[in-house]
Amino acid sequence: MLTNNNSNKMFFLFILFFSTLISISSNSWFGCWIGLEINLLSFIPLISNSKNLLSVETSLKYFLTQSLASINFLFMILIKFSLLKNFDMNNIISIMMNSSLLMKMGSAPFHFWFPNIVEGLSWMNNFMLMTWQKISPMILLSYYFNKNFLIFMIIMNLIIGSLGGLNQTSLRKLLAFSSINNLGWMIFSIMISENLWLFYFLIYSMMIFMMISLFFLMNMYFMNQLFINNMNFFIKLNLLINFLSLGGLPPFMGFMPKWIIINFLLINKFYFLTFIFMMTSLIIIYYYIRIIYSSFMFNYFKMKWVNLLMKNNMSLINLSSFISISSMILSTFIFM
Amino acid sequence: MLKNNNLICFNSFFFLFFFMLINFFFFVYFIMNGLSVFFEWEIISFNSMSIVMSILLDWMSLLFMMFVSLISSVVIFYSKSYMNSELNLNRFIILVLMFVFSMVLLIISPNLISILLGWDGLGLISYCLVIYYQNLKSYNAGMLTALSNRIGDVMILMVICWVMNYGSWNYIFYFDFMKNDYVMFIISFMIIIAAMTKSAQIPFSSWLPAAMAAPTPVSALVHSSTLVTAGVYLLIRFNYLLIDMFFFKVLLFLSILTMFMSGISANYEFDLKKIIALSTLSQLGLMMSILSLGFPDIAFFHLLTHAMFKALLFMCAGVIIHMMNDIQDVRYMGGLSLYIPLTSLCLNISNLSLCGIPFLSGFYSKDLILEMVSFNSFNLMVFILFYLSTGLTVFYTFRLIMYVMINDFNLMMIYNLYDEDYIMLNSMFVLLFMSLLSGSFLSWFIFSYPYMIYLPFNLKLMVIYVSILGSILGFMVSNMGIYSLNKLLLSYNLSSFLCLMWFMPNLSTYGLSYIYLNFSQILFKNIDMGWSEIYSGKGIFNILKNYSVFYNIYQMNNFKIYLFSFILWFMILFIFFFI
Repeated sequence: MLTNNNSNKMFFLFILFFSTLISISSNSWFGCWIGLEINLLSFIPLISNSKNLLSVETSLKYFLTQSLASINFLFMILIKFSLLKNFDMNNIISIMMNSSLLMKMGSAPFHFWFPNIVEGLSWMNNFMLMTWQKISPMILLSYYFNKNFLIFMIIMNLIIGSLGGLNQTSLRKLLAFSSINNLGWMIFSIMISENLWLFYFLIYSMMIFMMISLFFLMNMYFMNQLFINNMNFFIKLNLLINFLSLGGLPPFMGFMPKWIIINFLLINKFYFLTFIFMMTSLIIIYYYIRIIYSSFMFNYFKMKWVNLLMKNNMSLINLSSFISISSMILSTFIFM
Repeated sequence: MLKNNNLICFNSFFFLFFFMLINFFFFVYFIMNGLSVFFEWEIISFNSMSIVMSILLDWMSLLFMMFVSLISSVVIFYSKSYMNSELNLNRFIILVLMFVFSMVLLIISPNLISILLGWDGLGLISYCLVIYYQNLKSYNAGMLTALSNRIGDVMILMVICWVMNYGSWNYIFYFDFMKNDYVMFIISFMIIIAAMTKSAQIPFSSWLPAAMAAPTPVSALVHSSTLVTAGVYLLIRFNYLLIDMFFFKVLLFLSILTMFMSGISANYEFDLKKIIALSTLSQLGLMMSILSLGFPDIAFFHLLTHAMFKALLFMCAGVIIHMMNDIQDVRYMGGLSLYIPLTSLCLNISNLSLCGIPFLSGFYSKDLILEMVSFNSFNLMVFILFYLSTGLTVFYTFRLIMYVMINDFNLMMIYNLYDEDYIMLNSMFVLLFMSLLSGSFLSWFIFSYPYMIYLPFNLKLMVIYVSILGSILGFMVSNMGIYSLNKLLLSYNLSSFLCLMWFMPNLSTYGLSYIYLNFSQILFKNIDMGWSEIYSGKGIFNILKNYSVFYNIYQMNNFKIYLFSFILWFMILFIFFFI
């Protein structure tokens, strides 16, 4: 009991936030590496819970992959410093640095640990993993990236994110693959401008927050838990809207960043890439809608021992629905 | 006992009758003083086209409106008793009123847009009226009617497009100036086809007998005098344009054949309303042919007198059908002249007027037509088919009279034949009065001087010869009994050709749709449920699913392998680029 109380969590959370800030605001590559290491070190206590064997195993897996990636990153930094005058090697070194950062993020082709680990974490830890942990590798990526390599990685991200999620029943793995897909969009947005990446990232993390908080409130980890009848109508509606918003369907919030990125794609004549972005989005929307219409439009069964009729605080849910639906229109007033 | 205590029948009867009187007075005034009035209201004006709503009131349109309103008022009054047990009588009367409104719009309009409004309204409302009894036969009949009429609508729409070349849709201004223009050539072709669909000439004539599935008042109004004469009226209006064109001769040929064919087919029919429909078709062919020979006013005259006695004939048929417990088959009827004297009076007078018996109303128009055909030198075929069709008209008329009124009653041994429905009788008497007198009355008004006709004696008597021959044949044919040898069946092919309207209904329905339905079945089976499933529907789903399953198997790996693959990647990079 002494190792898992809120003050511990608050402490490590604080160090986690601070480590990301160290990493992105340093003016030397070494400082970046330091930030990444502190990030890893402070995240491990957040996710490990010595009473639960699964979470111990998960935290160990996380530690191994992330430390391997950090070691590689450090090594590449040192090689870069030593070969500074030899500009032929720039390409290779950028590829190698990028691939170590991609492994940190959980992007393809080094993504195999990501669904595994996500399966072992609770919802709030998942939220941290999917949103906050991506900030520093992405920004470090934006400092020194190799365009050709990254475009290839983007395509792999998209395809693996969409195809991998087709056969899943666990909600966490579903969101993991969706996260891998969205990583593809985000890496491309880095290549355009950092501002755009920030915009996409904020909206994505808001959407993920709404979904994860809803799943957390209802304590749902698997897809067959969605098929219950006595869910409150607003919770159902909110979840439906959030799923569609995450897929990028137009009147909802999630469409806007995708729209802007497609605009940039078409202006810069990345036509084939646009096609791949579109088609993989289609597959993702397909499996979201498959979940939605089975669970929210048809009634399955009524569970008599769980009362999900009214939660204590409905205002957050209503607010998040409202934001999802209307933010595209409201944003035109903000960015006027 | 009247079930419907509504006033819509009386109100609309009085309104239309009053309208008829107004039209009559204006008609007399206009034709005596040679006036015509043209109202024009410009709605909007584009760059070079202006949309105007115009109304032309000359003696022709006033006279036609008078006749239309008279017949429709009488028919509405008649249907108060005929459609008595109908729950939605309001709907029926409103449909009839809308029909009359469309017809009036068609009559008074000198520009093509309002003609189109009236024309389309006629087609649509006649569809609604034909499918009024909602059974399968009515649905099929309505579909046949509506789609045949639709061809005419399309033709008029195209005429509207072509007439835009001239800057306005008031066609009456352009006849004298643009006669030899290429655009007028196309316009005339389309107008003729439109009139042929509406008036059921030969390629499109299968809808008129089928439309007898409508209630009898509808048949009396629509299929005797208004809808089917709209085509003739259109051609009368366009007559100055069409007179020297080649298509008029094609129209002559087709209308004569229509006349002949329907005369023959009416002799094989045993359904009362179908016989009357085919006689309407025959008279329409007569009107079209005399129009295409170059006599528009005689065609108009015959149109009006035919409207009178044909509406009367349909109403008598309605009384008979009601009386025979909704049986329309002529073989069950017989001897009705003894038991329903007033109705059989009306039936006789209208039938004899149809045959052209002297000094009834049909005589004036029909005899004038035949004498004009004999007097001016036309084709031998025209001559023969005209007289033959007149003989055939008498033939089926007398056959009908024999079957319905003279032969023995064939329905049941004890039966109540009830004639004293005074609402229906009064409405028929109005038309009877007009049917007796309208021939002479119209000829005194319309023809300001008589036509000069000078014929040899035998030629003048040809009409009487063919009429007598036809009546004798009609008497002889109607003496069929169960024991008589039916030589018709020995020549089965010929008799089915003649009887089934030269197979036109089959061609219009089955013949047109069979190929397309067959082809679309092939397309559906091979493409919709075949290849496009493999290449887009289920096939892509299977591909994605297999990829996803493969991926899941691929992912369930040892953790060591993940880490090792990462190191392997770096080793490859190192080896290839640092060595």
